[in-house]
Amino acid sequence: MRLRLRHLLPLFSGQKRAFALGFMLLAITNASAAAIPYVMKLTTETLMHQQMPGWYIFMLLALALLNAFFRIQSRTCIFGIGRDVEFALRRAYHAKLLSLDAPFFNQEKTGDLAARAAADVSAVRMFVGPGFLQISNVFMAYAATLPVMIMLDPWLTLYTLAPIPLVLGLSRLLTRRMYRLSRVVADRFGHLSGFIQESIAGIAAIHAHAREADWQRRFAHENEELAQAAIRHARLQSLFGPMVVLAGAIGGFIILAHGGGEVAAGRLTMGDFIAFSGYLAMLIWPTVGFGWILTVMQRGLAALDRISGVLDAQPFLAAEVAAAPARPERWPGAIGIDNLEFAFRPGTPVLHGITLEIPAGALIGLAGRIGCGKSALLQVLARLYPVPAGTIRIDGQDLTTIPEAELRRELTMVPQESFLFSAPLIQNLLLNRTDEGRSRTEAAVTTAALDEEVQRFPKGLDTMIGERGITLSGGQRQRAALARALLGDPSILLLDDVFAHVDARTEERILANLRHANHRRTVVMVCHRIAALQRADCIHLMDQGRIVASGTHESLLATSELYRDLNMTMSRTEALEALSQ
Amino acid sequence: MMPAVNAETEETRYGTFLDLGLMARFLGYARPHRRWLGLAMLLPPLGALAQVAQPMVIQMAVDRHLLTGDMTGFGVLLLVLAALVFGQFLAGYLQSTVNAMLGQRVIGDLRKELFAHLLTLDAAFFAKNPSGALTNRVANDAEAISQMVSSGLINLFGDLFLLVAIAVGMVLLSPQLAVVVVVLMPLVIAVAFQVTRRMRLIQRQGTLLMARMTARLTEETEGRDVIRLFHQQQAARERFDQLNRDHRTNADRSNFLEAFQFSFVEAASTAVVAMLFWHGATLMAEGTLTMGVLTAFIDAVRRLFFPIRDLAGKFTTMQSAMSALERVFALLDTKAAIVDPPVAVCHTLPERPQGAIRFHGVQCGYGSDVVLSDLDLTIAPGERIAIVGPTGAGKSTLIKLLNRTIETQRGVVTIDDVPVNQIPLARLRRLAGVARQETFLFAGSVADNIGLFDPTITKERIAWAARETGAWEFIQRLPDGLESRLSERGNNLSAGQRQLVGMTRIFALDPPILVLDEATSSVDAVSERLIQTALERLMVNRTSVIIAHRLSTIRHVDRIVVLAKGRIIETGTHEELLAHHGLFATLHALQFQGASGRRGLENLK
Repeated sequence: MRLRLRHLLPLFSGQKRAFALGFMLLAITNASAAAIPYVMKLTTETLMHQQMPGWYIFMLLALALLNAFFRIQSRTCIFGIGRDVEFALRRAYHAKLLSLDAPFFNQEKTGDLAARAAADVSAVRMFVGPGFLQISNVFMAYAATLPVMIMLDPWLTLYTLAPIPLVLGLSRLLTRRMYRLSRVVADRFGHLSGFIQESIAGIAAIHAHAREADWQRRFAHENEELAQAAIRHARLQSLFGPMVVLAGAIGGFIILAHGGGEVAAGRLTMGDFIAFSGYLAMLIWPTVGFGWILTVMQRGLAALDRISGVLDAQPFLAAEVAAAPARPERWPGAIGIDNLEFAFRPGTPVLHGITLEIPAGALIGLAGRIGCGKSALLQVLARLYPVPAGTIRIDGQDLTTIPEAELRRELTMVPQESFLFSAPLIQNLLLNRTDEGRSRTEAAVTTAALDEEVQRFPKGLDTMIGERGITLSGGQRQRAALARALLGDPSILLLDDVFAHVDARTEERILANLRHANHRRTVVMVCHRIAALQRADCIHLMDQGRIVASGTHESLLATSELYRDLNMTMSRTEALEALSQ
Repeated sequence: MMPAVNAETEETRYGTFLDLGLMARFLGYARPHRRWLGLAMLLPPLGALAQVAQPMVIQMAVDRHLLTGDMTGFGVLLLVLAALVFGQFLAGYLQSTVNAMLGQRVIGDLRKELFAHLLTLDAAFFAKNPSGALTNRVANDAEAISQMVSSGLINLFGDLFLLVAIAVGMVLLSPQLAVVVVVLMPLVIAVAFQVTRRMRLIQRQGTLLMARMTARLTEETEGRDVIRLFHQQQAARERFDQLNRDHRTNADRSNFLEAFQFSFVEAASTAVVAMLFWHGATLMAEGTLTMGVLTAFIDAVRRLFFPIRDLAGKFTTMQSAMSALERVFALLDTKAAIVDPPVAVCHTLPERPQGAIRFHGVQCGYGSDVVLSDLDLTIAPGERIAIVGPTGAGKSTLIKLLNRTIETQRGVVTIDDVPVNQIPLARLRRLAGVARQETFLFAGSVADNIGLFDPTITKERIAWAARETGAWEFIQRLPDGLESRLSERGNNLSAGQRQLVGMTRIFALDPPILVLDEATSSVDAVSERLIQTALERLMVNRTSVIIAHRLSTIRHVDRIVVLAKGRIIETGTHEELLAHHGLFATLHALQFQGASGRRGLENLK
């Protein structure tokens, strides 16, 4: 148990005083609540003696106010602890996710990771706040009322409480089964939604083959499945409320059946009779709540396990490197690779014995067929995946020993599929580099040949991108990503097929702009365009994870069969593209 | 930069509490279930009566037996009370069950109608409406309406009935004492209402903040490379923390209101009991009130306060259901642009028509963009036609016109001289079997995706079709053969295999006209060979219109139509077109003689 709670317990350490306060407030709440039926008894007895109960009325009102005040205080205090823990746990979870790297994410589903941050963290909160409250509450409610009840009439107490174990048992049983069934309902609902979504996505196929009738039949089936599950769940849920009322009513019935005779015989006063009814009402809800909370806590524990799974994960890349030797503010940007072997998944290597020297300031092309390992090489150079120490050197220093902040300032990659956040364009480009201003952003946008299109956007650089804004085309996204990378003015720039969606004219413009930058940065580009490759100082041709040839465009054309093949494919594609414009 | 947290979206807006027009229309859906509806309306009063009678029995017990000591007849009273208690339980249980069932049944019907309606809408509609929003209509909005049926409307009616019944019961027992409750009750209800309203608003804000956090986290996960490459972890943490903190603050407010609501109703009930004692003391002193009546009042007050707690909640349920109803009906009222021809002009072609196709002066476009203009094309029965041309030439528009996925702006498309808009849609689409460039695969088995869930297409026929196309070769290697499940959108099949499945579909459905948009994406050599063989077999005895990207396909057809910028610029056999030295010859050179073609292209320009 301690082990399962290992990520939760540290969050409690700062909450000890809050727990103590909450417990105390709860005790006062229960004590004042227990006093109410007793004062009602006293009032009734006064009335029976034909006296005016003025003082007791005042006490009742005061107690009601006091009780309400402390109940509010205790609930906000204890639920507040739950919220604090929820906040801290979600924060820790988020920070952990940020520290994890590509190998971890490749095994997880995005939706699942997000669900843990939302639903599971909330489930743990229920475990902490309401869990503590209900459990304390049920004990206190009994502790406060039982002595008074027994003092009034032990036998009647026993009879009155007879249905309680039943209430507890049923409540536990019902909530457990209800929880299970509600999962089934949620599943079926998910299926139905998924079916609708898929049908809409495939509507063209349904229309093309006139399959509407069959789809209606399939939908009716999914629909019926959901309805059946929902009805089964509703049957149980329908039992819950009336059952609680029934338990109270049976208690009330017992009070009347047994207590009534006692009152008639004069062994019990009318006031005792009313007090008993009041106490019973006080006990029913905490008892039901107890049964419910056990189920909630069980759920919370399971949710905590799912969160712990992420919190226990370790990044594959060393977090920070201590005492790295000082390097110049601007790197020259030479890259050396010694006999690099790399695999995304153990057993299926994608890079074999790569050995390369890239001089500072060079423009390097990486060419090869789809799946030859070009992109993998860039990703490894960008330190998105772990590599053995000593295989990659930047200006003579081992890549694994360069501090993260410095590395990211001096080395940047533009991936094949560039991601833009749902935020204004300028924020996507600047990120939080506040020292760069609007004019520098505009310059970067021009270098990336995105300036003309930005001018046509509804709000220029301030246009929202993404779901709540405009959707950029593939080419625009790539150029925005390029501008984002250029804004950091890195010494080493890795480009993964950034010219895939741009026309030849734009490509020329970008290449010219890149070369005209105020200093020569090292550029390594994966590329399927002849014009770009022709400009490269050196092209490394890759095949099946190895470098099979190196040289300029002309020399490779002369020496390499594979490169000639590639060249032909590329020219065809480019010519066809030209035709369609 | 970010929209305000309380920005209302279409999905979260609350409607009015009760819109009679919407309700009247909605009640139409309840009509087939009117027996259940009758029962659902009958149960709440029964339950309420069982509840109201209980304090009266208690009053009798106290006044006639407990205080007099005369126990004759007490047993009968106890029996009555037991029956009432059980009756209340039964009525309560049946009420929720019947309500839930009614909700599910009525919504089930509505959902089916919604989905059936969606299926009739055309491509232009789906292009305009994001699939997420449409899914929400059928799934979530319908769910909100179901909530209204099962826990809103009828329960609200039941609660109000109970409140009135208890009030009446009280007045019957003692009008003087009832004054206390009748005066204080509206006050309590008013406060409870206000608090619940605010609570719901704050809870909704909480839900919105949670959704924003989830969206952020999803984005960060998808854009994790960007965060790492630009060292954005710190900034990402700060942004998320801000949302998390807002959520925390909001939760505090919601916690307070919840606690207040809970405690207020509790305290109010005690206060009302105190007032009853105070007023009751005077009345008892006057001799106009018995102890039994006072006890009964105390019991009744407890019963009264129970429904008040969530009375306001039911009103908000109604509000969200009303706006859901509005959206759902709006969708149902959307007219389909492409519909079956009216019976008067409806033509049913013979079982196996000839398959002569004619485009006559066709113009077509999207909005003001004209894609095809003044196009004439006659295809003889059984003829095999290849359409070639650069991207954007209007090739796919041409085949969409053929099965009326879109309509012409001018001109007419006919099959065996019958205009396509005079053929019932289902018949038309069974006539012209279209295999698109990307074969959409549904969740299900390979066989399901070939027969497209048509129960009249047997397993044998599916297997036969797969053998005909050669798809059998890879299908039999799958773990469960034809019964193998495909992963999401068929990701476990290669592009070539997906196209083969699409072609096998055509075989299984056996339409007299074949329309195929060849996949442009590169397929491996084995699939390439299989696709060619399948295509040759499919073209036998069928009028075939193929958007061709491969020379081997082009060589196997009777005639080639070259389309550019929405017009037919060349037409003829392979040899004729090559001799013509036009666009086709250039494309041909490009594709099959490598880089040398580029020069030819430049000459063309």
